[in-house]
Amino acid sequence: MSGTEIQLVAANAVLYLAFGCFMVVAARNAVSAFQLIIAAWVFATRTRPSKSSSELWQRYGDLALPVSVIAPAFNEELSIVEAVSALLALEYPQHEIIVVNDGSKDNTLGALIDGFDMEKCERTQIAVLQKTKILSTWRSRRHPNLFVIDKENGRKADAANAGIGFARTPLICIIDADSIIEPDGLLRAAEPFMHDDGRLVAVGGTIRIVNGCEVKGGSLRKIGVTKALVPRFQVVEYLRAFLSCRVANAHTNTLLLISGAFGMFRRDVLIEIGGYRHDTVGEDLELVVRIHRHMREQNRDYAIKFVPDIVCWTEAPANLAGIKGQRSRWQQGALETLQRHRKMVFNPRYGRIGMIALPQMILEDIIGPPAEVIGYLVVPAAILLGVLDPIMALAFLALTVLFGTGLSLGSLVLEEVQLRRTSSAHDLYRIGEAALIENFGFRQMNLLYRLRGIGSFYRSDTTWEAVPRVGFGKVK
Amino acid sequence: MTALHVINISAALAGGMTAFFVVLLYRRWNQEATAEKKRDIFAAITRSYLHRVAGKLDQGPATPWSNDDKLAAVSHIHLLLRGGERNRLMELAELDGLLRATLRRSRSLRSARRIDAIRLLQQFGSEVCIGRLREIFTRDRNQAARLEAAFALASIHALPPPRETIRILGMFERKSNRLDSALLRASAPQYKDQMIMLLDDPLPNSKLALIIDALGWSEDAAVLPTLERANSFNNSEMRSAALRAAAKIGHPGAAQWVMQSLDDPVSFVRVQAANSCASLGLRDAIPQLLRLKDDDDLWVRLRAQYALDALECAWPNDAMTGAVA
Repeated sequence: MSGTEIQLVAANAVLYLAFGCFMVVAARNAVSAFQLIIAAWVFATRTRPSKSSSELWQRYGDLALPVSVIAPAFNEELSIVEAVSALLALEYPQHEIIVVNDGSKDNTLGALIDGFDMEKCERTQIAVLQKTKILSTWRSRRHPNLFVIDKENGRKADAANAGIGFARTPLICIIDADSIIEPDGLLRAAEPFMHDDGRLVAVGGTIRIVNGCEVKGGSLRKIGVTKALVPRFQVVEYLRAFLSCRVANAHTNTLLLISGAFGMFRRDVLIEIGGYRHDTVGEDLELVVRIHRHMREQNRDYAIKFVPDIVCWTEAPANLAGIKGQRSRWQQGALETLQRHRKMVFNPRYGRIGMIALPQMILEDIIGPPAEVIGYLVVPAAILLGVLDPIMALAFLALTVLFGTGLSLGSLVLEEVQLRRTSSAHDLYRIGEAALIENFGFRQMNLLYRLRGIGSFYRSDTTWEAVPRVGFGKVK
Repeated sequence: MTALHVINISAALAGGMTAFFVVLLYRRWNQEATAEKKRDIFAAITRSYLHRVAGKLDQGPATPWSNDDKLAAVSHIHLLLRGGERNRLMELAELDGLLRATLRRSRSLRSARRIDAIRLLQQFGSEVCIGRLREIFTRDRNQAARLEAAFALASIHALPPPRETIRILGMFERKSNRLDSALLRASAPQYKDQMIMLLDDPLPNSKLALIIDALGWSEDAAVLPTLERANSFNNSEMRSAALRAAAKIGHPGAAQWVMQSLDDPVSFVRVQAANSCASLGLRDAIPQLLRLKDDDDLWVRLRAQYALDALECAWPNDAMTGAVA
């Protein structure tokens, strides 16, 4: 084979590789576009939710099932009292707060004891799901519905499992102790259970970014959008993920993820499946996939819903260093879940989950990130080898950027028309601006972080990188 | 497709998206700019209606207010008023033609809009509204709209007899949910005799249990003999419902058979019996409850302890009844 022939073969290989990567990116975009259309249809045809919490209370106050809110806490000394006060103030007829102090190294337990006049108590644990030792249990003299579990450190999954084991109510709501639930969030989450005939096992809600908002006493005082670009990019990402992707997936019964920051579950189902797994960094995704698997293997009729109007606010990493750890972990968690449940993929026994949801996850989490990165590398190579017209490459790049921005703007429209949690036109502009700029740098950085997550998965890395946070009072 | 085509398409798409985003921004900016004016109009409408409700002279606006603005204000004020004042407000709103717009909306092709209208009709609560709600309840093609109408009728005490409600909503032809239970409970004060008659129908036990449970919301101790009879049925779900209903009525006349149920062979019934003892404040049940602390079933032990805590604190309350696992 002559040098020219070798060059020709290499050029063709590069061209086909570039084409393959483009097809993967196009497929991902097509899936996202389809999800956006479904979400728009769902929003357009749905019954508008009750506007005020008083209306919700009037309608469902007598019907709502009792709920245990489980808040795992680790080193939250400075904010735990405010956070728990906000949880106690949630508008719900019967809710118990179970705070699990997961072996904090600071004085989280002491802050709780002082803040809520806690005393030691004996309480029967109904199911032992945690792997670590329970050190003591506490109840508040002032708030009969506040219960604290002090245990050895075992990460969030273990802490949540300890809380599930102590819960006695039919519904369990698992949250992050540092998240802020809107006052009517529990009522809105419990609403689908009132219409339920026994099928519903879990309900998820929207997670929004608190950076830029005004928070006081553990409650959201004023909604805002931060000037900093990194959290703003995440606002756009969350809008796309929750208002488009999750809404569409829930509508097509293919919802695979209920965020760990807020989710309501039926207690009996959680106990049946043994709670969260301890050996994965993506425990929230794994839990929902396992619920699907469990129910389908038992041929049980079930449903998992998503209510976009339940809004839980959480602090996003304020810089790229924070995002790096978070995204690597998400990627690793997704791959761990796919590996563990690979039997379900393309298996008709698991219905839409096996045939649609998991293959979509493979496209998004296994094929997608490397393909996009390879695309960024081979397109310039193809241009250098003279097999791709630079103008054509530029044109398709422009089209891809436009598509990405269009999907973000579509989600922003849904937010503006349906939920309206942006406080002003200026904030809306800031989000729109971020939707465009994120295509130039942030998306590519994200891909690299995800590749890092793939690396961690292959190394079976179990180290936990804490996401650096600056605290509600200081988030900008 | 040539590169030029792609560039042209991209440019067109970019232009379209930018225009769309600008419209979105302008819409929001405009709403912000007029928000204060809107607030003033809202306050003026509220003032005007409150004057008219109180029978005072009202000049009315220089430029007429829109029906949507008036409807929004009335929806807000009606939550603040009670009794005769609220009725007068709704009469005035009806005279102003606001009901007409709502009735029109209740015939919309979109079920979501019809449901919005049902919620407004519930607020008005006049004879015309009840008529329209009944029409939706019986004839609407959408189950959610029919259910919403049923709730609206229940809230204004205008539900038809339970047999009709059950038939129209197909309550017994599908799995029941908490809303079905709520509707039956809402019917109970008005139609307790008919509900007792329903117990003689050849219905599945789970449906009979729903009716027995609803009798507890009849607010009438005269149903206690029926509940006692239900508590002697073979089906544990029905016995449990009878105990729950007795606890809700809260009459000491049920004490004897409620306490007997602490020895029921089915653990779920014992759980409910313990709850009911706590709700009824039956301190005589303490020895039996102490014995239940050694029951084989974990939930019975937990509820017995809970009941003992409540009785020892002389702290009976209704909230406990709902917390059964």
